[in-house]
Amino acid sequence: MYLMQQLRKLNALQHLQPTVRQLSTAGLKTSTLQYEKDPQPQFTDAETQNLLQSMTQLQLDKVFRKRTVADNSTQTQFMTTAQLEKEFLLTIEKAKTLLQMPPIVKIKEDTERIISRDPALKDFASTKYVFTDISFGLAQSQRKVVVRDVDGTLAYASLDITKRMNQLYFPLDGRKFYTPRMFSDEQLFQRCLEAHNYEYILDRLTVQYEPYELEFHNISAKVFEHLNESKQFDLLRSTRHFGPMAFFYAWHRCIDDLLYDMIRRDYLLNAVQLIALSYKLHQVPVDYQQTLQKLDALQPSPADKALEQLRSGLRNPQEKDIQDEIQTAIGKSEADFQADEISLQFIEQYIGSEHALKKVQLELAVQTLKEVNLEKLQLYQGLKKAHGVQTA
Amino acid sequence: MSLSPASGIGRFYKKSAKIIRFVRLGCTNRPFYHIVVMERRKNQHQPVIEQVGSYDPMPNENNERLVALNTERIRFWLGKGAHMSEPAAEVLGISGLLPVHPRTYMTAWRNRKTAAEAEASQNVAETA
Repeated sequence: MYLMQQLRKLNALQHLQPTVRQLSTAGLKTSTLQYEKDPQPQFTDAETQNLLQSMTQLQLDKVFRKRTVADNSTQTQFMTTAQLEKEFLLTIEKAKTLLQMPPIVKIKEDTERIISRDPALKDFASTKYVFTDISFGLAQSQRKVVVRDVDGTLAYASLDITKRMNQLYFPLDGRKFYTPRMFSDEQLFQRCLEAHNYEYILDRLTVQYEPYELEFHNISAKVFEHLNESKQFDLLRSTRHFGPMAFFYAWHRCIDDLLYDMIRRDYLLNAVQLIALSYKLHQVPVDYQQTLQKLDALQPSPADKALEQLRSGLRNPQEKDIQDEIQTAIGKSEADFQADEISLQFIEQYIGSEHALKKVQLELAVQTLKEVNLEKLQLYQGLKKAHGVQTA
Repeated sequence: MSLSPASGIGRFYKKSAKIIRFVRLGCTNRPFYHIVVMERRKNQHQPVIEQVGSYDPMPNENNERLVALNTERIRFWLGKGAHMSEPAAEVLGISGLLPVHPRTYMTAWRNRKTAAEAEASQNVAETA
């Protein structure tokens, strides 16, 4: 009889085993780079946020591109010019919300908080009880989850149990109850990285994990490290993950590849901002604020640039004068050339300092850019002279 | 389709006796309970006044029993003088919302006693 009972128990266990899902992310190894102190005050600082937003840029085509979502429909409407202007402003606001960065905060520690110990309750049941407060209108972070252990101890639940219960009783859209295999299986994760699906990984990461979780830090660090090696930074430009990525590189002193990419693509303002950010984070005694102010005065913010781009569709082609045409043909205005000069000076100063690691590469890029710029400037001036445009 | 009894369509008199109790749902060999407030005189499967929680008595894959309690509403109804069925009072006691029910202490003591006896008998069998 006793033997039969034991056998039945064994059978039941064997039957259970394959259905048990892996709930922890033990599959992924930890990354090498981690924030050694709380990055939140530096990240949420207004100046840093400005720099990061400006570096992200605002390319409307990319922000409002077709996504793989259920509803990708568009609406066509007749509007007056005034209505259209209003709509443009709304569009920019909407783009800004879509580009909001997920915050970088330190990892939350899981502390044990015991409410009461009751030895007289020892063995009151064979398993522990988990109680969730489902009162109406509480935020997920405010919801109390308590556990009564088999030995009679009543304590607040650990973070992972709390998260699991929140997801069970108040499911978030897109968040899975179990760890997605992509995040638990090293091989699958590597495959995602090698296919350069960085944005997809990071999007899913923000849905699945909270910013204060260890997994969030680990996985995002791995993605950024891989990105630094593959150098496909343009994939993240104008998405919400570009800011955290730039912050990560600036914090860990490995901005050179990103800087090289920015110089090569002629985003000199962004390059200056990146260097300024790294100076700010590491308290390097270089006065970057003056340069930034000068550049801000010369060049419009990304939002203004996008708005201008929208408005240019409204303008009558006959209204455009020859100066505009020259500018669009060359792609730069006089202010841009001035700004480039200031930025190049700042960048060269950085390359000369001990902070730059890949000096030769950066110097070459700067040299090439200078030559191209010179050619453009000559062309610009020549065209202006040929058309008899007066310089103001 | 008519509303399920759990959505709180039960009619009640102002001064009738209310009770916080379990309603057995689930199916054969798979119990699952709603914790509800209803008129004391009614059958458990009649419409309830309000559902204030749920209780899954079968351990899940992490070996936990899950209880959900709408503590705000439970406190409201207790304040109104609602009664409690014994199993409901036990669960509320275990949760720490109310003092632990005496029956829970009894069960714990009995479980410990049987475990000790089983161990003693096993020791005797081993030494013999």
